[in-house]
This record gives sequence, structure tokens and C-alpha cells, in this order.
Amino acid sequence: MAAGPRLQSCAATSSKAGIRLGRRHRAALGLALLGSALSLGGCGGPDPAQQAVNLSQGVPLGAVLAMSGNANVYGQDQKTGLNLALAELNGKGGINGKPLALQIEDSGSDEPGANAAFTLQINRGVLALIGPTLSQQAFSADPIAQRRGVPVVAPSNTATGIPEIGHFISRVSAQSSVIAPLSIARALQLHPQIRRAAVFYAQDDAYSSAETTIFQQALTAKGLKPVTVQRTQLNDQDFQTQISAALQQKPDLVVLSLQAVDGGNMVRQLRELGYKGAIVVGNGMNTPNIYPICQKYCDGILIAQAYSPELRTPANIALLRRFKASQGGAIPPQLTAQAWTALQVLAEALQRLDRRQPLQQTNLAEARKALMAELLSGTYQTPLGEIRFTPEGEVIQNDFFVAQVRMDPSGKSGRFALLP
Amino acid sequence: MDAGLLEQMLIGALLALSVYLPLRCGQLSLATPGFFAIGGTVAALLSTRIPSFAGTGATSPLPALLLEMTLGGLLAALLALAIGGTVLRLRGIYLAIATIALVEILRVITLNLSFTGGALGIFGIPQPFATASGYAGFTLVLLALVCWLCARLEQLRLGRAMAAIRDDELAAACVGIDTAQVKLQAFVLSALLAGLTGVLAAHFLNSWNAKVGSFDASITTLAFVVFGGSRTWLGPVIGGLVLTALPELLRPVGDLRLIVFGLVILLGPVLFPQGLITPQRLQGLGPWVAGLGQQLRGRVPGPWRR
Repeated sequence: MAAGPRLQSCAATSSKAGIRLGRRHRAALGLALLGSALSLGGCGGPDPAQQAVNLSQGVPLGAVLAMSGNANVYGQDQKTGLNLALAELNGKGGINGKPLALQIEDSGSDEPGANAAFTLQINRGVLALIGPTLSQQAFSADPIAQRRGVPVVAPSNTATGIPEIGHFISRVSAQSSVIAPLSIARALQLHPQIRRAAVFYAQDDAYSSAETTIFQQALTAKGLKPVTVQRTQLNDQDFQTQISAALQQKPDLVVLSLQAVDGGNMVRQLRELGYKGAIVVGNGMNTPNIYPICQKYCDGILIAQAYSPELRTPANIALLRRFKASQGGAIPPQLTAQAWTALQVLAEALQRLDRRQPLQQTNLAEARKALMAELLSGTYQTPLGEIRFTPEGEVIQNDFFVAQVRMDPSGKSGRFALLP
Repeated sequence: MDAGLLEQMLIGALLALSVYLPLRCGQLSLATPGFFAIGGTVAALLSTRIPSFAGTGATSPLPALLLEMTLGGLLAALLALAIGGTVLRLRGIYLAIATIALVEILRVITLNLSFTGGALGIFGIPQPFATASGYAGFTLVLLALVCWLCARLEQLRLGRAMAAIRDDELAAACVGIDTAQVKLQAFVLSALLAGLTGVLAAHFLNSWNAKVGSFDASITTLAFVVFGGSRTWLGPVIGGLVLTALPELLRPVGDLRLIVFGLVILLGPVLFPQGLITPQRLQGLGPWVAGLGQQLRGRVPGPWRR
């Protein structure tokens, strides 16, 4: 990393040589660039979108999940959900006898990664895409799918404005403006004496700063204007400064819009520094992967849910059975159920489409377009309950819940217990 | 390979050249992502807020892109000009720290200004090109132009002065080179290039937020140059292209890909301390490449001339 080392000599080329070399140099440059363009940029073959759907490996679908970077805790849950749904759907005969072939690609936790993974999947000739994990990635990658006419079902994007990116974009994850206020209302119901709310959010994170706006509006609507709003950074580990500042205001409710890792640390440090009141957290901490981070201190935090493991529908019973078989006794997290739902709605739409207009006779571009129309027109019995879509692709879901984290005495494991 | 990946690689190469320019006169500046972010923010704001830049909303006119590039590049260059005089008094690692601070300041400002969209950033940026190939073609021309200018620099008084400062700043000052001025020029050129690249990247990525100009990005762009080699313009270009492409090319490896990528970054400087591309190594590659190597050797002073 040191700057250029000291060297002894200086260049001394005659101007004549300079001109001669200049010409050669230009040629060299041209050739080098041409070579790199040819070797790196050579695209393979004709546009697959104008050809028939390639069903040789099964009905091609793609998923783009954050399996690395700071959002990987969500991607792992989602991958589980997709793989379980894939096994279930293919066990029931796939798409009218043809198996589903789902390829999962890692997007990292940033936008260029999501763009590259989306493009890769689209070039492979997938009929539709599931993903990406983060809303911020969706704002960057979804326009690519929209331009190329590929249906997208987002399993976890909760920011406002995702389906509005284009008519090929839809989601099965209810937006935070619908869910977030529920947990506030529930906290006030449980603790009617709450008067002073403190709000924390990561100011450099899109999800956190979007959700905190909704939380703060919900608090103000309940007559609880936050007594303090503390800003953190996504990669922060130590929150003593913000917590001390907030505790001076003597809050009896803390509302966190943080992601799993920083949120888990925040909960732990809040309790360690002596905060005893209620804690409401946002969707970013809606994963059992917070247990190892805040351990016994996770106990009691309130979180709104778009999924209830207690729902007795055939789809949810299938999810519970498969989750138990593969992961041991635990209850599936919301992200897993939403990922399952994303694949299920695509599969059911494909089944209807294939019956009407067999896939092997349709070219890829038309099949993608028809699939999108089919997807939006259906009603689906999913682990999330009955869902439908608005014409824009926004999910219509009937039931939402509020859960409270209950940790085992060991502090190692716990569960999201739905409040009645 | 896909044109979208090629475009990301070309952007990587341009950013690497932006780090290379100050390094050519011995100045380790990590400010490139900051200027990159400025260019991108200018493009994102203009093309989403001003109707004549936005075009139809989905597609924006090419002249608008060129104007954005002019404005974005100029704004970055002006900032570099304004702070360069002070910042460039620092040397080596101190300059690196000061430029990291600049990147952080710009990032925090972007996060806290309402018109830059806070953490969510600006999205729905219209597209001047219908396909990724359009971007790649345009960026390839820009890269070729910048490479040509960097090659020309070897023959210009400015380039010679830059090399002299890298070799020995005191000696360079003694023979009458205005070292402060030359270093400032290199810094401003670097900022200009990063600003131009930011404009292209903002359109290409569809959305723009404060995360693009982070400390991580500073280190990534530096890695391009360290990996590729800072002796010739070809080194950073190859470093930028290869290191941007590698995580994508390694996808068949599956979950191990980032581990392999990390190993490559680690082993690169261990096995090739001068970087992948040195004029000497070019010479060893064959008669034609040797021609290129010889030219570079003739121009760029270095220990391999012994």
C-alpha cells in the first residue's frame, strides 16, 4: 500500500522515437482493448427470449438471494423455504408432470451483485425470478427484469414503491407500512402505561430509514411523539453512546428499525445497560438468526408477523412437516414461509398457464408475459393464508400477527410466540 | 459473457485508472469513490428531477448523458481543485487517511441531505441506452480514450514530471518542476475521471445511494491497482477488469467463490509484488507483446531497467 518506491533513473526518449513509438503504441493499445473486448465481451448465441422455453432440465425458474454479505442471515432462511417448496411441488408432479428446475444464485448484499445475478439468470432463460432479498437491491435489479420482460416475485422486499417499478414486478411480502404499526398498537395494549418512546435506526440503511418513518408516524398517531430518535450505522457494533443518550430521556418503550446483526447487538446492550421497558423491533429482526446474537436478552421483544406457524391450512401444514423433517423441531421463520409462498404462487400460475397454452409450444418472451398476467389474476392458498395481487403486483393478505420472542432458559434457542 | 458484466468490469477499469493517476506521481489517494459518488449523484439528480434530462422517463437522450458527464466530471474536478492544495501537502499514508476522511464526509453529507434521498438514495434513474451492450460500447470508447491519454501522458511534460516526482520529489523540485502544481493536476484528473465514471454507473445501476462511496469501495479500487500493477496504465486496467469479473466468473464454484476470490486477492500481491502487469513481464510474453513492453520500459523509469 506504500506509494511508489524511489527509483534512480528518469525516462529520456528522443522526440523522434516518441513519434515512432506513439504510432506503435496506439496499435498496441487498440489491439489490447480489442482483445479484451473479444475475449471478455463475446456474447454467446442468439437471444434465448425469442426461442422456445428450454424445458430439457425442467421448467426453469431462478432465485437471487443474499447468501453473502451482511444480509446473508435472511438469504439462508429464504433458501430453506425455496428448497422445501421445490421438494413439495415436484413431489406433487411439478408443472403438470414436468419438474420445476430452480437455480439459486447469490447476489451478495449489494446492488451490483444483484444486477449481475439477475442478468445471469435472465440469460439462462428462466421464466420468472424470485428475489432479490433487500429492497435496496430491488430498486437496482428489478428494472433490468422489467426491461427484459421477466416476471419477478419478491419474497422479502418491504419498502414502499417496489411493485411500482413496473408491471413485471410483484411481491408476496406485505409492505412495512401495513405491518409495522401493528406491533406498536400491540405494545400499547400490553403496557397501557407507556408514555415515552425512544426510536433507533441505522441511518445508512435503506430498510431501517424507510421503516423508522412508518414507526414514528404510528407512534405519533398514538399520541406518543418519540422523546428521542437515535441514529446508528449498519456496521456499528457498539451502541453505548446512543443508548446512554436515549436512557437519559427515561423511555418506557424502545422501537428499533435495525437489521438482524446490529439489532441483536442493540437489544443486548440496551438490556445490559439497564433498560427494562418494552422493545418493539421491525421486520429486519424477523429471523431466528437473532437468537445467537442477543441470546437471553432477546426474550420479550415484540415483532409484527406476516406469517403464523399456527395456521392450519394444507400449504402451511406441508411447510411445517417439511421444515420439521429437514431442520429439526424449530418453527419456520417468516422469511422461509414467504420464500415458499413466492415459489408456490409461481408454480400454480405456471400450472394454469401450461394447461391453457402448453409451455413447450410457446416462445420464452411470450411465456414470461403470459405468466405475469396469470400470476396476478389468481388467488392462492399459501402458508401465509389466502393471498391475491393488485393489478400493480402488490400483495393482498388478510391476516397479520404480532409475536413475542420467548427464549429458552439456556438462552441458546427460542421461538416467536404469537400473541393471541 | 454478458454485456452487463462487461460494463461493470469497464467501470472497474476506469476507477482503477483514477486511482492510478495520482499514484503515478507517488500520491496514494483513496478519494476515488468520493468523486465517483459525486458524479453519480449529479447524474441521478439531473435525470430524475429535470424533465429534459429525464426524456421519456424510461429512456433519456444521449446528449443529456454527455451533459451530465460534463457537469458531474467538472463538479468532482472542482472539489478536487478546491481541497487538493491543502490535502496534497500530506504524504504517503497521511494523504491516504485524509482522502478516506473525504470519502466519509461526502458519504455522511449524502445520507443527511433530503434531496439525495438519505439512505434509500435515488432510484428510477432513466436509461440512455436500451441494452447493456449500449453501455458497454460507450464505456469501451471512453476507456480506450482514457487509456490513450494515459499512454500519451508518458510523452508529455506533465507525465514526465509526474514520473520524476514519483522517483524523487526533492530532486524533481530541484530541477525546476513545480511539484505542488503537478500533484494537484494529477489529483484533479483523477477526480474528473471518477466523476465521469460515476455518471455512467448511476444510469447503469438504475439506483444510486450513499453506499457506493464507502471506505470499502476505496479499498476495492486500491486493490485493482495493487493487483494489476501501478507501473503502467495497463496494470490498473487489467486489475479493474479481472477483479470485477472474478466473483461472477467464479459462480460455478458455488459457496466457495468468495473464499477463492479472497485467496486470489491475497496471493496476487504475494506472488507478484509489483502487480500482475510490469513492463518486464510483458516482454517475457512474446515478440509482439514485447514491443509494448519495450515501449513502456522506454518511457516509464523503473528498477527493471537495470
